[in-house]
Amino acid sequence: MIEVTNVWKRFAAPVLRDVTLRVPQGCLYGLIGPGAAGKSVLLKCLAGLLRPERGSVRVFGEAIESLDEVSLQAVRNRVGMLFQNNALFDHLTVAENIAFPLRRRGVTDEAEIAERVADRLRAVSLPGFEQRLPGGLSGGQKKRVGVARATVTRADVVLYDEPAAGLDPVTSQKIFDLLRREQQEAGATVVMVSSDIDRLLTVTDRVGMMLDGALIFDGTTAEAQGSLHPVVKQFVHGEVDGPL
Amino acid sequence: MERIEGPLEAAARAVLSDARELQGVFLRTLYWTARGRREPGEVARQCYEVGYRSAFFLSVTMGFIGMILVFQSGLQLLRVVPDLSQLGATFLELLVRDLGPTISAMMLATRVGAGIAAEIGSMVVTEQVDALRMCGVDPVDHLVVPRFMASMVMTVVLVMFSGLVSFAAGGATAWFVFDVQPLTYANFSLLDRGDLITGLAKCVAYGAAIPIVSGWCGLTTRGGSEGVGSATTSAVVNSSLAVIMLDLVISGVGFVVFV
Repeated sequence: MIEVTNVWKRFAAPVLRDVTLRVPQGCLYGLIGPGAAGKSVLLKCLAGLLRPERGSVRVFGEAIESLDEVSLQAVRNRVGMLFQNNALFDHLTVAENIAFPLRRRGVTDEAEIAERVADRLRAVSLPGFEQRLPGGLSGGQKKRVGVARATVTRADVVLYDEPAAGLDPVTSQKIFDLLRREQQEAGATVVMVSSDIDRLLTVTDRVGMMLDGALIFDGTTAEAQGSLHPVVKQFVHGEVDGPL
Repeated sequence: MERIEGPLEAAARAVLSDARELQGVFLRTLYWTARGRREPGEVARQCYEVGYRSAFFLSVTMGFIGMILVFQSGLQLLRVVPDLSQLGATFLELLVRDLGPTISAMMLATRVGAGIAAEIGSMVVTEQVDALRMCGVDPVDHLVVPRFMASMVMTVVLVMFSGLVSFAAGGATAWFVFDVQPLTYANFSLLDRGDLITGLAKCVAYGAAIPIVSGWCGLTTRGGSEGVGSATTSAVVNSSLAVIMLDLVISGVGFVVFV
């Protein structure tokens, strides 16, 4: 489903170094690592929002790094994404934000749009927020609207960048449970970046850990929890003493 | 052994890269203008933003410029010939052919160009532009094209309106300072088809260039609020530069064709 092979990306300095990764279909893959490790950049490469300088990113079997914007759009139509900053459109209401990807993908039946928007808002516990503007929402509410927008098209691949950042522990766990439930119902392939390691590991099938742009660990959740790699062990268990 | 790039080579490479990006935005703007699907009322909303909200600023500026130019021209003319009967006619020709479109466009570059770059730049740094792309939307289609269409129409309207204000303000100055009667001042004898076509071509070209250049500056914003600031400054500088360059080209072509 998703195959990343020897990917290199640099801005002022290298941010991805020779990353190779395979996410099987229907897998919920957690990407962890300290700040500035390259997790969000890798996620944007998977969405085709950034192009690697070297290496290949294959999504649905298509090498997306070589596609032009028009061809890339066909791939993106099957991908949903939640951004780190939520990226809600300021000038649109909550309902319009959630409906936006549906309308742009050609759904014109207003009753169907309204029904799917209401369904998403119920799923993220925000019914009655349809007419609010993003400026009037709290950080946690914005995050939940972002989740609703990312999942409204029932995409085959969903990418989440910090889905629980800024949320209280209860809401955070609810969001992780929701994302896991959604993924299992839809059979979607999910790649999720999160700093909330404890909760993330309750829902993932596989985990990858990045450090300084390199993928230093790739294995099942159980393998990550039992890893003897000093960096992985310290990060997963939140230990103060160690190489990090 | 790795070759070290010199500063001149790096600057040339950066200019070429910018030119390629700008060309890309220009071509995509034309493509989506022909093929894109507009949300109802979006172009009208941009016409209001570009046109109505610039009308007062532009009229005041052009009014003062009209007064200053007629006053200075009158003083200079009196040094050479004691006859101001052609003051209005020469000012009108200059206004229609060059000053009206160009000065108005420079003013629009500061107000409209900065606004476009700041708005799009803010959307870039808050990842809204990436979200648009993930929703199946080309940011050029959604953000630049409605402003492009509105700017082309409203620049023509604004230049005509502010030109009228400028000519009237100049006429008042001529009357009060040099005692040139309004009927003498309102002399259209020097105005010909070439002046009108050249002036109109400039309005359309400037109206197209400002949103494209400013949109490109906004879409290439990097970093956070500091990046938005630089994008805004770049939009004003580059849009003004584009106006001056287009002025030179269109004036040159107009001279060859109509003189």
